[in-house]
Amino acid sequence: MDPGEELAERFRDGDDRALRTAYEQYGGAVLVLAQRVLGNRADAEDVTQATFVAAWMGRETFDPERGSMLAWLLGIARRKAVDRIRSAARDERISDSVRSLPPPAAPEEAPERVVDRLVVADELNRLPTEQRRTLELAFFDDLTHPQIAAVTGLPLGTVKSHIRRGMANLRRRWEVDGAASGFRSAGPSRAL
Amino acid sequence: MQHLDSDRLVLLALSEDAANPDESVHLAACAGCREELQALHYVAELGAESGDLRALPPPPEHVWAGIQADIARVVAEPAPAAVVPVTRRAAGRRRPRWLAPVLSAAAAAVIAVAGTAVVLRGFDRPPAAEVTARATLAPLPTAPAAARGSVRVLSDGEMVVDVRNLPLTTGFHEVWLIDPDDTSKMVSLGNLSGRAEVVLPVPPGTDLNRYRLVDVSDEAHDGDAAHSGRSLLRGTLTY
Repeated sequence: MDPGEELAERFRDGDDRALRTAYEQYGGAVLVLAQRVLGNRADAEDVTQATFVAAWMGRETFDPERGSMLAWLLGIARRKAVDRIRSAARDERISDSVRSLPPPAAPEEAPERVVDRLVVADELNRLPTEQRRTLELAFFDDLTHPQIAAVTGLPLGTVKSHIRRGMANLRRRWEVDGAASGFRSAGPSRAL
Repeated sequence: MQHLDSDRLVLLALSEDAANPDESVHLAACAGCREELQALHYVAELGAESGDLRALPPPPEHVWAGIQADIARVVAEPAPAAVVPVTRRAAGRRRPRWLAPVLSAAAAAVIAVAGTAVVLRGFDRPPAAEVTARATLAPLPTAPAAARGSVRVLSDGEMVVDVRNLPLTTGFHEVWLIDPDDTSKMVSLGNLSGRAEVVLPVPPGTDLNRYRLVDVSDEAHDGDAAHSGRSLLRGTLTY
């Protein structure tokens, strides 16, 4: 069983140490998403807190077949953040229904893309070492396949197959978790 | 022309190669290959943008304290549904037939809450070991820019070392505590096993005020127990 599955199982079984581990592993991602949706740190921390409380109280509803624990938590965080925006808008209308509201600031990046980046970042960390290392050289150091072969000392064919498999793993995770977090409908292809 | 094979799609998606004329004609005509390429290209973009999201620190501890307090409160509160039937009974009215399922549901809710309380007992316990010192490990110029790590020293004398994105090695990675005032003085704590998080015992009696520089080095299997001189990550313990 991989460490992610083991954590999910202990979490569902009500092991409170698993809640702490989940918080340490995924709390940062939940906070990043909440902050991107809400635009302020204090509200984002409140939503992060509410997300983990709701996740713990509803832990039996987590279905690992539908996506990763990270995607599940991000889906809860998204709903909590949207609820908060709605209730803030309602308060605003009640307190000052005459003044016309300024248009909300356009978010610098769509929350959907933040979720996509968070799940791809998480999957990249989980890849087998050589897939991860070759993809890091391609993504972050912008090296070509032959350059990666030269740097790592691996045969070119091996580099190709690590990168192909690594990309396939990232893509699969992105598809499954995008649907599981509630940002996209499920399906192998969609408009990009 | 045939569909593009997966190696070829990956090369195009990573913009390492441009499509040749035959491939361009095929991609214009074949929705399947086109969508596959677009998806891979998008994933490659996400991957390239993911660098700063790969070692996110957990949120501040006050958020965690809030989570524990909220959970303790939810568990302590009785289910509100349980109150309603009791008042009706106190009023001396005959309990309507429809109330029976409500009552058993309320009883079930109480049992569920009690069950949660049992599961949550751990929240009342103090943590087994407190963090007495921490260090954030940053890459030296010899290490990839994405390499990083963090260290927590626990009150029970163990050190939790969490490292990310270390370069591959033909040898192993070793953790040291170094005296920054005399860098020839150092203590070896042990080796990283290739897992992200490793717990190493700090030798009893080690003065962490003196040996406060945490160092992760790349070591060869050469039988030489001394530091190789190839440091990858470093950080200073703070209290």
